[in-house]
Amino acid sequence: MKAPSDSVAPKTAAEAGEILARCDRAGEKVSIVGGATLRGMGFPPERSDINLSTKRLSGVVANEQADLTVAARAGTPIQSLTALLSTQGQFIPFDAPRPQYATVGGTLAAGWLGPRRHLYGRLRDYLIGSTIVLADGTIARAGGMVVKNVSGYDMSRFYVGSFGTLGIIVQANFKTVPLPKHARLFLARLPERTRARVCAQLQTLPMRPAAAFWIDGFHKAVDGDDGAEGRVAVLLEGSEMLLERATRELRSALGRAGVPETRVLDAGARESFQRVVDAYVACLGERSVTYRIASLPHSCEPNAQRANELARRFEMRAETIVDVLNGDIIVRVSDLDARALGAKIEAFDDALHEIEPRAQVIASDHPNRIYLRVWGESPPAIAQMQALKARFDPNRTLNPGRFVGGI
Amino acid sequence: MLRERLIAALGSDAVKTEPEDLAVYSFDAYTDGGRPVAVVLPKSTQEVSAVVKIARDCGEPIVARGAGTGLCGGAVPTAGGVIVSLMRMNRILELDLRNRRVRVQPGLMNLDLSRQVAPEGLFYAPDPSSQQISTIGGNIATNAGGPHCLSYGTTVNHVLGLEVVDDAGEVFVTSIEDAGYDLTAALVGSEGTLGLVTSAWLRLLALPEAVRVWVAAFDGMDAASEAVSAIIAAGIVPTALEMMDAVIIGAVEAAFHAGYPTDAAALLLVESAGFEEDVAASEEAIHAIVKQHGAHYWKSAHTLAERNALWAGRKGAAGATGRIAPNYYTQDVCVPRSKLPQALRAVEAAARINRITVGNVFHAGDGNLHPLLMYDKSDARQVAAVVETGNVILESAIELGGTISGEHGIGWEKRDAMTRVYSTADLAVMGRVRDVFDPRRMLNPEKIFPSGARCPEVTPP
Ligand SMILES: Cc1cc2nc3c(=O)[nH]c(=O)nc-3n(C[C@H](O)[C@H](O)[C@H](O)COP(=O)(O)OP(=O)(O)OC[C@H]3O[C@@H](n4cnc5c(N)ncnc54)[C@H](O)[C@@H]3O)c2cc1C
Ligand SMILES: Cc1cc2nc3c(=O)[nH]c(=O)nc-3n(C[C@H](O)[C@H](O)[C@H](O)COP(=O)(O)OP(=O)(O)OC[C@H]3O[C@@H](n4cnc5c(N)ncnc54)[C@H](O)[C@@H]3O)c2cc1C
Repeated sequence: MKAPSDSVAPKTAAEAGEILARCDRAGEKVSIVGGATLRGMGFPPERSDINLSTKRLSGVVANEQADLTVAARAGTPIQSLTALLSTQGQFIPFDAPRPQYATVGGTLAAGWLGPRRHLYGRLRDYLIGSTIVLADGTIARAGGMVVKNVSGYDMSRFYVGSFGTLGIIVQANFKTVPLPKHARLFLARLPERTRARVCAQLQTLPMRPAAAFWIDGFHKAVDGDDGAEGRVAVLLEGSEMLLERATRELRSALGRAGVPETRVLDAGARESFQRVVDAYVACLGERSVTYRIASLPHSCEPNAQRANELARRFEMRAETIVDVLNGDIIVRVSDLDARALGAKIEAFDDALHEIEPRAQVIASDHPNRIYLRVWGESPPAIAQMQALKARFDPNRTLNPGRFVGGI
Repeated sequence: MLRERLIAALGSDAVKTEPEDLAVYSFDAYTDGGRPVAVVLPKSTQEVSAVVKIARDCGEPIVARGAGTGLCGGAVPTAGGVIVSLMRMNRILELDLRNRRVRVQPGLMNLDLSRQVAPEGLFYAPDPSSQQISTIGGNIATNAGGPHCLSYGTTVNHVLGLEVVDDAGEVFVTSIEDAGYDLTAALVGSEGTLGLVTSAWLRLLALPEAVRVWVAAFDGMDAASEAVSAIIAAGIVPTALEMMDAVIIGAVEAAFHAGYPTDAAALLLVESAGFEEDVAASEEAIHAIVKQHGAHYWKSAHTLAERNALWAGRKGAAGATGRIAPNYYTQDVCVPRSKLPQALRAVEAAARINRITVGNVFHAGDGNLHPLLMYDKSDARQVAAVVETGNVILESAIELGGTISGEHGIGWEKRDAMTRVYSTADLAVMGRVRDVFDPRRMLNPEKIFPSGARCPEVTPP
């Protein structure tokens, strides 16, 4: 792995296009850098001659408050966009870790899947238009500023989750939705014997919470009392009247499942929720690896237990965040130090993929990370994906090798 | 040769080549044009795959077809070829109640799906007005919308994964949970040009506990469209926010007696669904806004029967125009929601200049206009006037920052208008996706891409 020799930060799409076209002809490899918050996701590029940063491609370019639409350039930090929208009573459920650094472009490119998606939908479903710069310098637009649009292929959605391997997203247009007026966070101890019942109760609540987690470990990262027994955190959002009713229903559901008592947080509820999301990608120096295992909601509880047991068999510490409503399992395995982890992690990775073929590494600063199956098993349509890469970036100029299947 | 091979693969009952049979498959709800060389009705993914391989061997293009309710000539065999009707593949394959998802075949009617899962307290959200007569496969291929897409989003938001037969007859599957590129997103809305959808995993939603429908009437279209903008700008997103003008109100009342006030110049049909508390709060807020904007009539439907009556008028509106003129053409454009008043004035002006009766019934909350231009097919002047009016409306939507189709698609009708909203470079990028899935341009040729566009990079294999 060679250190990048050069850094550039274009100010316009046209400049980015010129840089890419030049690199593409010269055979130089370009790494795209947004907020660098997800640098532990995916493989590092095979080679990188130029780091192209989106930090100067920043700012909101259109904000049609009455239309509930907004357009931002790629390097805009999520937090600043979210802050602007909240002054207008609107939001987009980015739910990205470390939103003060994470960028609009990077969050889209990473296809980040936030915990509130079961209620508000995926980030990709808020994207109504985009501008992208391809490896050969082509600047192409898709969609527009209208909320419904069936005019040819939905290229904007297609770029979401492409990890900077198809092109640089330089601008994204979104629709927004009204920001729920109130938020409330519930915290409770979660005795091990109640887990399965709690998950089932949370999944069948008539008033769906915005997010619900069962959390083991991750102390300091997450509010609430820590302990071997773990805890449950539930975010409710909506009008005041709705929260009152949801609170009653949630209390009695948790009571039925055997959860003794709950603590309610009104001030700072969303901030506490954000800290849970931040924990998804928080590394313990070089001595941890964090996986995301996508499950279905009804099987996330047993699957999380299974992954934890496996880590215990390897004598590693396992910490877990289970997103009960979407079925995502986040498991951070760690050891005493980087060396101890390094001695086991590859064998653990093999064993984990035996039971969870699609487990992905989403965060690690350990040097052996690159030997892990960071994308899990290849998806069934990998051949089509490789062909798309070849058609969009035939010289493999952009983020080569960073993505699944060598893309 | 082609016919014999198709019969060998599917049986004679599933292959049609008689001229009178072929004629039935030469049109959709927009137009007719071209004759297929054969129509096949496969019953399984394997049969679809076999058909595609045979057609490919014989050099025939392939046109996927659902119910043929498309409004842009998408399923019309303009270049001939083999029509693959998915109508016999109409079953629910797997219902996963615990995870609220379902796998269906493409020929299933949209409304049949919601009907079949209703006893479980679930429904499928995308509800094109054609939902009784259009298929899930056609909905996916056009990324269909509908009145309730205002809050639930269009079809693409509800597709979890697809099984697709590609141009070579090979089957591949996609899932939005897979690592890698979001092929599902690329395929939804691709109008049969990237592959044939043979099954789909769809997301189901829980039926809301409370639903209320309101009607507000206004003295003018301007006032009504400003009320729409005000509702959205106030941060209220009802589940549906539909608008009708006097022409439509008159036609609907004559046909159905839906209970609309007949003296109104414009009418808003608003639905809010969710929890009792929220619905009640919406009622208060929406009522206040429409009053501020001069609504002189307000009606609230509480019972299912009352709600259905109000909706019946909306859903049957297009059919009801038969009393005004024998034919109608639906234009479909979408503008930024705050531009609705200007867009509607442009529609009115275009119709007046061309002496065409226009009826507006549309998804106002999304800024998605559907002017129905009424005419008599046998009168050449009227036909020309409708075409001209449609074009003017399209142009004015573009000028207002809008798009050339909100939900019906591009198909054959609007392919040349693509250059009005996209540059050659933009279109060439879409062409790169096509190169991967359909390099020989045999899947629904002459659709979406402008007639002049030839992708120079294409190298036939
Ligand atoms: C030589 C080298 C060595 C590395 N070694 C390591 C290592 O040991 N450990 C490690 O964890 N990481 C390593 N990396 C990864 C590196 O941190 C990331 O490539 C880089 O920081 C990406 O930052 P970031 O943008 O993730 O942030 P994010 O903004 O979080 O971006 C996420 C993804 O989206 C892409 N992206 C960002 N913005 C856009 C946009 N506007 N359009 C399209 N795509 C975009 C990025 O390329 C990235 O793939 C290495 C990289 C290089 C070049
Ligand atoms: C009265 C009326 C009201 C309507 N209201 C609405 C509305 O509210 N919202 C809306 O969005 N549309 C509406 N439409 C348009 C139309 O119903 C939709 O476009 C619908 O999705 C088409 O479905 P279909 O089964 O009839 O498809 P078809 O018309 O048969 O085909 C449409 C397109 O999809 C392709 N296709 C069909 N099946 C497949 C498959 N399995 N795989 C790949 N490609 C396939 C065809 O090749 C064609 O390009 C309306 C139409 C009518 C007549």
